[in-house]
Amino acid sequence: MRRLRATLRAVAESILAAAIGLVVAGFILKAWGYSPISAYIALFEASFRDLYGIAGALANATPLILTALTFAVAARAGLFNIGAEGQMYFGALAAVAASLFRLPPGLHLLVALAFAGAAGVLWSLVPSVLRATRGVSEVISTIMFNWIGRYLAFWLVANVLVDPYRAEKTITVLPGSRFPTLVPGTDLSYAIFLAVAVALLVYFLLWHTVTGYEMRAAGANPDAARYGGVRSAGVIVLVFLLGGITAGLAGATQSLGRPPTYAVYSGLPQISNLGFDGIGVAMIGRNHPLGIIFAAVFYGGLQSGARVMQLFAGIPLEMVRVVQGVIVLALALPELLRIFRILRRRRVELGGER
Amino acid sequence: MPEPLLKAEGIVKVYPDGTVALRGVDFDIRPGEIQGLLGENGAGKTTLTKIISGLLPPTLGRILLGGEPVRLRSPKEALARGIGMVHQHFALVDDFTVLENIALGTGRPADRALRASVAELMERTGLRVPLDAPVENLAVGERQRVEILKVLSRAVRILILDEPTSVLTPVETDELFGFLRRLKGEGVGIVFITHKLREVLEITDRVTVLRRGEVVGEVLTRETSAEELARMMVGAELRPRGRRPVELLTDIPRERREAVRTGVEPVLVVEDLRVPAEGGGEAVKGISFELYPGEILGIAGVEGNGQTELVEAICGLRGGRGSARLRGREILGLPPLELYRLGLAHIPEDRWKYGLILSFTVAENSILGRQRSPRFLGPLTVLRWGEVFAHARELIARFSIQAPGLEAPAKSLSGGNQQKLIVGRELSKEPDVVIAAQPTRGLDIGAAEYIRDLLLGLRDEGKAILLVSADLDEVLELSDRVAFMYEGTFTAVTTPAELDRERAGLYMGGMRG
Repeated sequence: MRRLRATLRAVAESILAAAIGLVVAGFILKAWGYSPISAYIALFEASFRDLYGIAGALANATPLILTALTFAVAARAGLFNIGAEGQMYFGALAAVAASLFRLPPGLHLLVALAFAGAAGVLWSLVPSVLRATRGVSEVISTIMFNWIGRYLAFWLVANVLVDPYRAEKTITVLPGSRFPTLVPGTDLSYAIFLAVAVALLVYFLLWHTVTGYEMRAAGANPDAARYGGVRSAGVIVLVFLLGGITAGLAGATQSLGRPPTYAVYSGLPQISNLGFDGIGVAMIGRNHPLGIIFAAVFYGGLQSGARVMQLFAGIPLEMVRVVQGVIVLALALPELLRIFRILRRRRVELGGER
Repeated sequence: MPEPLLKAEGIVKVYPDGTVALRGVDFDIRPGEIQGLLGENGAGKTTLTKIISGLLPPTLGRILLGGEPVRLRSPKEALARGIGMVHQHFALVDDFTVLENIALGTGRPADRALRASVAELMERTGLRVPLDAPVENLAVGERQRVEILKVLSRAVRILILDEPTSVLTPVETDELFGFLRRLKGEGVGIVFITHKLREVLEITDRVTVLRRGEVVGEVLTRETSAEELARMMVGAELRPRGRRPVELLTDIPRERREAVRTGVEPVLVVEDLRVPAEGGGEAVKGISFELYPGEILGIAGVEGNGQTELVEAICGLRGGRGSARLRGREILGLPPLELYRLGLAHIPEDRWKYGLILSFTVAENSILGRQRSPRFLGPLTVLRWGEVFAHARELIARFSIQAPGLEAPAKSLSGGNQQKLIVGRELSKEPDVVIAAQPTRGLDIGAAEYIRDLLLGLRDEGKAILLVSADLDEVLELSDRVAFMYEGTFTAVTTPAELDRERAGLYMGGMRG
């Protein structure tokens, strides 16, 4: 009962935040002489009116659900894993690498996904171990590893996985390890089910297992968790393990499940920023796996709607970005404030100024 | 007698939560005098000095500076009027040099002129620190000097020191005293807050004793004795309590317990336990004791004498050297869950830090530390929510916890009910040894009495209880044996019957029994 009421309150808060964001963005549009009404009609019609729009929103949401989970699992345990971006690159590339050999269709997809998850974990390993054993701030190390990962990924695309006939991309994923398309003619593949299933699993883990209880305890009150016998090193390793898997899978959904390319291009144009956008999605979804599913669909809709807004309402791309930014910020604000409080607490613990 | 530098008249302080910290205190500070401000925890020493140094506004009363009433709205304003305070916790920038830190306090650049004036100040007062050393390389005693120099460089006439010796080695303390005497010779009025009787007798000229927010005595140091100060500090009367006279509770069960104890092995044996302090040195300096089934061993003492570290070391939250054996098994260094399995329960002194996760629900908190016990742990670590709820309901019923619901966050409970939840949870571990640290602190009378009764009941069931409390009355009332802790050691171990309050005060103030 009480939990239901808390959920309803969170939803109401989010709706209110979205409304405030729309109004504020509307004033900005108005101030620069654009019509907010037609802009918003374009925005929402594009993404939520017909099957194609909805499919587009869901296709955009697929990787975001997974990268958002990377951040959310960590945030629930009091850690700030910014590393989904880099881990996701390697997930995408490892899934491609699985096409270097042949396996029966279906099984090949599973192997490619396993590769992707393992690659994500591998790339989160160093920040994880540094944090668990030496207390190195995971915020800094994961950001650094994003950059290292980015350039290493560039190199892998150009030199290792390169398509012998087309130097600007990797080899193409074999059909047997692709996600089948769900709605023909759109980007939406069966990968959406994977993303939603992982979110449900994470939800179950956090709220229905002792492991999840201990992770949340470590996040909510590290001292009390220690008193309650929770080993922080174990929680850290677990958080990064899960985060690496989800981020790696996020990458795989793009290289294995996004028609028409089924390859990663040099410069990583299709996958860049999916990890960072996931942070925004996690915050809109209050770092709750179920909230994240809805937040990702909303965010995905906003992304495809933005293109339409630009085309049909004649609003320049920069202004579209401003509108998007204001709405996302308004939605993320409640969670953002909570996170700042936790960060401040940690700084005080580390001996900084109060 | 010279005119006081500062007079505080009728100071009353009521905190927003309703706590009355000061109940009409008169206090003055005279030039060329070191005044000791003595009192137990919660007597109001810190509140009074915070008001004088501009950190807190008084609820009622006024402050006269040189005969003029003043309102001190901030420490900055107080400093500008010549009142400086050195707190227990230093406010220094570690990466800066000493001179830069001093400059930061004065608002002047760290230039040659400042260097010259600080050098002159150091020469005059004998308070020497290497000016170009980064503060992070300095020992604690040196850092304190930097703090004092920071204040003195503002030409203060009144210097307030809050427990300045609590972080110092004996040699550093002697040096500090030498310097305070010199400063006194220059006409500075010094207020020295402490609970250490020996130091009060050694360094002060006059002593003001506070108890429960009131001045209970003001004496010239040369005309008083440690015994008199101890008596004033802890008070002569016992807390009035109608329904459970002290004699009744210690006398009747005692014979039975004596019978239990004879021929009984101690359940917890601590030998030469040493626990490092956070700022270096040792917080617990080689403590040994035995705890028997069916007894309450009380540890009395002013807070900050190593009790926290002692408890945390025994309960697996802090490293320590030496030995602690629970039924013969060495437990130092074991993780908390292992300790709980071996029969130890820990009621932590800080409810909000260790005891509860405030944002977690009552049900979730009811299993903290027991989350991996077979009752709640299903296959694949699935949490058996049904059992958790049943367990929480049991605790609520058995310990009459007032809670809005099992899924209400712990922060929605009152302090007393939060503590009941913790105590209930700890007892549900079915322990042989209960470590109870400040178990009634901050609770209303009803809840405090409930917890005390519970501890007595546990003792009568044959549990061994280690009770650490800064409330002397509580320790004397509940304990079968009492140890007094002072600067990391026991100054005396005795029974309440053999103890009068004056002796108790002496032991708490560092005199050995």
